[in-house]
Amino acid sequence: MATMPDSFFSWVVFLLNEYGGVLIQGAGVTLLLALVGTFIGCVIGLAVGIVQTIPEDPNAGCFKNSLIRGVKAVLSSYVEIFRGTPMIVQAMVVYYGAMSLFDIDMSAMFAGFLVVSINTGAYMAETVRGGIESIDAGQREAAVAIGMDHFQTMRFVVLPQALRNIMPQIGNNLIINIKDTSVLNVISVTELYFASKSAAGVYYRYFEIFFITCIIYFIMTFTASRILRWLESKMDGPKDYQLVEYDPMADPCGHFQVTNKKGR
Amino acid sequence: MAEKELLLSVQDLKKQFGEREILKGISFNVNKGDVVCIIGPSGSGKSTLIRCVNFLEQPTDGVIAYCGKNVLETFKNLPLYRTKVGMVFQQFNLFNNMTVLENCMVGQVKVLGKDKETARNTAMKYLEHVGMASYINAKPHQLSGGQKQRVAIARALALEPEVLLMDEPTSALDPEMVGEVLAVMKELADEGLTMVIVTHEMAFARDVSSRVIFIDQGVVAEESSPEEIFSAPKNQRTKDFLSRFNLGK
Repeated sequence: MATMPDSFFSWVVFLLNEYGGVLIQGAGVTLLLALVGTFIGCVIGLAVGIVQTIPEDPNAGCFKNSLIRGVKAVLSSYVEIFRGTPMIVQAMVVYYGAMSLFDIDMSAMFAGFLVVSINTGAYMAETVRGGIESIDAGQREAAVAIGMDHFQTMRFVVLPQALRNIMPQIGNNLIINIKDTSVLNVISVTELYFASKSAAGVYYRYFEIFFITCIIYFIMTFTASRILRWLESKMDGPKDYQLVEYDPMADPCGHFQVTNKKGR
Repeated sequence: MAEKELLLSVQDLKKQFGEREILKGISFNVNKGDVVCIIGPSGSGKSTLIRCVNFLEQPTDGVIAYCGKNVLETFKNLPLYRTKVGMVFQQFNLFNNMTVLENCMVGQVKVLGKDKETARNTAMKYLEHVGMASYINAKPHQLSGGQKQRVAIARALALEPEVLLMDEPTSALDPEMVGEVLAVMKELADEGLTMVIVTHEMAFARDVSSRVIFIDQGVVAEESSPEEIFSAPKNQRTKDFLSRFNLGK
């Protein structure tokens, strides 16, 4: 081999040439884990949040009400347990527990997806519950008053508004997940941190490698936060509206399509 | 006059919030075509009463019968009953995530299962009726209070209910907007729509309603024709209450 690099920056360049590919691959795995985990977590959170906010129906039977109460109790213990233990420990318990208790040899990657999803789900469940409760009770009453049931009320009226309100929190979760998937290195998921540690070990250049890693993490989180901001403003829709000046009765099917949803 | 068809009957309705008894046994009937105004001092239970009628509040005791049948027994699921008994709220409660047109369509499509085409036509018919047809693309927050309430009325009517319940429909409005909403309500009354209206608009109650119910401290203190209750109230509490309003013709 020719001469070794002799300054910080020449080491950075050298390591980038050598291990850039590995790090990018690690970053890819990190991003995949964070995106999929956040998405599935949101779905879990939504489902749990909707169930948690089912009101008690005094006209329903005793059986139905106690069933709902039982389901709610199970769901809230899920939330408490997974919010109340560190993800790094959950990863160990799930990965090695599945092996020794149930003899399931899941791949580290699968365990990673599982842990991130259910962990995010637990946080999202509370976020969604908060989002639903933040919507004015009058919205729910109006929906009920035109004959909607709980799920219709949620689906068409409350959740679209609640989701807009919890978008910043979803963004938070995505960014936290991009960073915190690094703990999955304990079950040897080859995400960015794992890749960096391996690369650093070869030449014992920890600072240089982790300097690069740092920048990659920041690029990912910053991009994610910008994209989410853009999504939020998109969800807000146009600020203005157009009056329909012609006789709407004349063409009762035309005008609905004419209003381009963008309206800008 | 022909025999009137009994539409809604409230029998000995009671409602308790914790220890506090708000409604202490209220009974009244609503016939088809009636415009019943419920008046009374604040805190007398008017709003609770009207909210109990479509079970937004669960009555503690008593029977609400629709077309002669106990609602809780006949309608296994309340949603169906609620489509027959429309509701207009003090705070409008338009769906903030939908446009004016969508507000008036969503119930028809999702609850009554109509196709969008029909729903749109019906929605437009009633939006036209309340003079809001040109605002179909607006979101609720872009409208004034009076406009919102007119859309809310159209939303309720779009389900073509048998009775329209109104809970202080003009109380949250700026004074200059009260008129436009009352005008719509008067028009509906003239067309023969059955309505139960909780209101503080005494002139409206006197001129438009077919019957006035005065509620005080959770009971019906007096019930009679508007002429009678406004010109010669029998109950002392009715007299005291009405004396606070200047009802010069």
